[in-house]
Amino acid sequence: MKKFARAVALTMTCALALPVWAQDKPVAGEVKEGSLKGKTLTFVSYGGIYQDGQVAALKEFVDKSGVTLLNDGPTEIAKLKAQVDAGNVTWDVVDTADLPPYVHCGTLFQKLDLSKLDVSKIPPGQVGECSVPAMNYGVVLMYKNETYKDNPPKSWADFFDTEKFPGVRAIDGSGDPTGGLIEQAFKATGGDPKAMTSDDIEKGIQKLRDLGPDTIYWKTGAESQQLAESGEADMVMMWTGRAMTAVKNGAAYTPVWQDWLVVMDQLTIPVGVKDTDAAYALINAYLGANAQAVLTETTSYTPINMDARPKVDEATAAFLTSTPERNAQGYQQNIPFWVKNFDLAAEKWNALLSGN
Amino acid sequence: MTATPDDGAPNAAATDLAQSPFLSRFRPRGPVWLATPALFVLLLVLAYPLGIVLWRSFSDPAIGIDNYVWFFQSAVNRAVLQRTFVVAAWVTLACLICAYPYAYAMTIVGRNMRLALILCVLVPFWLSGVVRTLAWVILLQDSGVINSMLRGIGLPPVKLIRTLPGVVIGMTQVLLPFMILPIYSVMKGIDTRLLPAARSLGAQPWKAFLQIYVPLSLPGVYAGAIIVFILSLGFYITPALLGGPRSILLSSLVQNQVLSLLNWGRGGAMGVVLLVATFLLLAIAAPLMRQKHTASRREV
Repeated sequence: MKKFARAVALTMTCALALPVWAQDKPVAGEVKEGSLKGKTLTFVSYGGIYQDGQVAALKEFVDKSGVTLLNDGPTEIAKLKAQVDAGNVTWDVVDTADLPPYVHCGTLFQKLDLSKLDVSKIPPGQVGECSVPAMNYGVVLMYKNETYKDNPPKSWADFFDTEKFPGVRAIDGSGDPTGGLIEQAFKATGGDPKAMTSDDIEKGIQKLRDLGPDTIYWKTGAESQQLAESGEADMVMMWTGRAMTAVKNGAAYTPVWQDWLVVMDQLTIPVGVKDTDAAYALINAYLGANAQAVLTETTSYTPINMDARPKVDEATAAFLTSTPERNAQGYQQNIPFWVKNFDLAAEKWNALLSGN
Repeated sequence: MTATPDDGAPNAAATDLAQSPFLSRFRPRGPVWLATPALFVLLLVLAYPLGIVLWRSFSDPAIGIDNYVWFFQSAVNRAVLQRTFVVAAWVTLACLICAYPYAYAMTIVGRNMRLALILCVLVPFWLSGVVRTLAWVILLQDSGVINSMLRGIGLPPVKLIRTLPGVVIGMTQVLLPFMILPIYSVMKGIDTRLLPAARSLGAQPWKAFLQIYVPLSLPGVYAGAIIVFILSLGFYITPALLGGPRSILLSSLVQNQVLSLLNWGRGGAMGVVLLVATFLLLAIAAPLMRQKHTASRREV
């Protein structure tokens, strides 16, 4: 009898809990009709075709929920810090680079309540404590066909081998250090990136310094594209979006996919936003398969919903990083390591970039 | 800065105005009152934020001089600070060499030609500095216009982009109007009859120019040099785009601390160091200039 009673109690609990759970469990891409009528959300990203594409991806959400969507940007963590410090946060959802949500988790960015988001379709390992990915792209090594002809570089090891592969290198000097690149540089010194310590950062940086004074540190994506299109550099470290555009514009360069560096933009909710639930609703809609397909079709960045089926041309498809083959070749930097050593790495990186 | 050829006595109009019955009523308080809008704006947009920067540099993250200790302990910071002043000096010199003859030419040509010369100065001035800098990228890069031309006539290519000379060339072009205009505004007030007068007293033409004309034009040179020098110290976009790692200026390091590392105290300290260094330099230069200035006035 006792057993029976327990079974009944259990069933009752489940029966009671299930509908609640089914009702509240969000589904990526879905939003209730008219649920945000009269509300305003400010979405912040990096402008250009990227933010236009994100707005296009959010159109269905805006139409259905009735929310008024404002756009601002470009994202600057310093501006966000000023808002949080002043207790007047006007940015509701912020698109950031890969590391800031980890570095400032809990101080500038809210720890995410994953019961309010459907993250089941996001590629594994990409959901952070304070962020979900906004899109994926890669940093890829592009080499100049004319320079290397029949003996092209095949990996980052060749990038760091200036004897076998002479030529001018161009490196992303647009901002924070690229952890993945320093890991590859450390690997080229014979080290094991998996067992890297903070002292090894300098070894990796030194390897970059050893590439010589001709090395170019480009400041903007446009500059990297220009370097390829004008043939100024023999090996260029490029964002896949820029690499694709350069090739479309006639740059005779070839990507090396082995160990391409996985990079993502992140979506975050700042600490102190006025309507957290509305911000969650926006992100949940953004993660939907349709929204992600639209994003890829308009921006050529890789979708972060594994069910998304964007229709893109051949040149764009060649640089998408979500195929099984690319997934196998990708190299993921050690995020916890770089978050822990963010200041030290940035200091060493700045020293490199200012010629010291 | 008008281009009318016959405004040799620019003060005449001002004197007329001051003597008008309407303005004379306000005269005792007038000048101070007129400055209040500017003072208000300066207080609001310069003094107040500057005060915050100063306060932060001593208080963020902890009260004390940690940020300044950090600044001077770092070899990178010291090297870049020094480089910033060296580049500013080169740019000022390059601007002066280009601007002085140009401004002189503006005073001796006819009216239409002068208008054309002024337009040549002002039109690039109206374009965004970023656009002009990107144009220099196209000109200076290894496969760029200048090197293609050199190769075309059989000369070896020169390394210009991502070098300090490349940065100086780009900054000089962007800052040239700030040198030309002050020099011209002083030069156009110089009575050119002084030169024939000197010659009639037996001076060689070049001597008359160097001893009479040049000293009279110095106030314009000083004004232009100070403006160009100070603007150079804060340059950011041009060195970032035209320079390489060895030509980064202090503003780039400040940007890094403030925008990417969120060390606002350190960024503030860097700004304060630059500001104080600039003031010191001006304090040293100012008495020198005043001396020359009064000397030239005595000669008149």
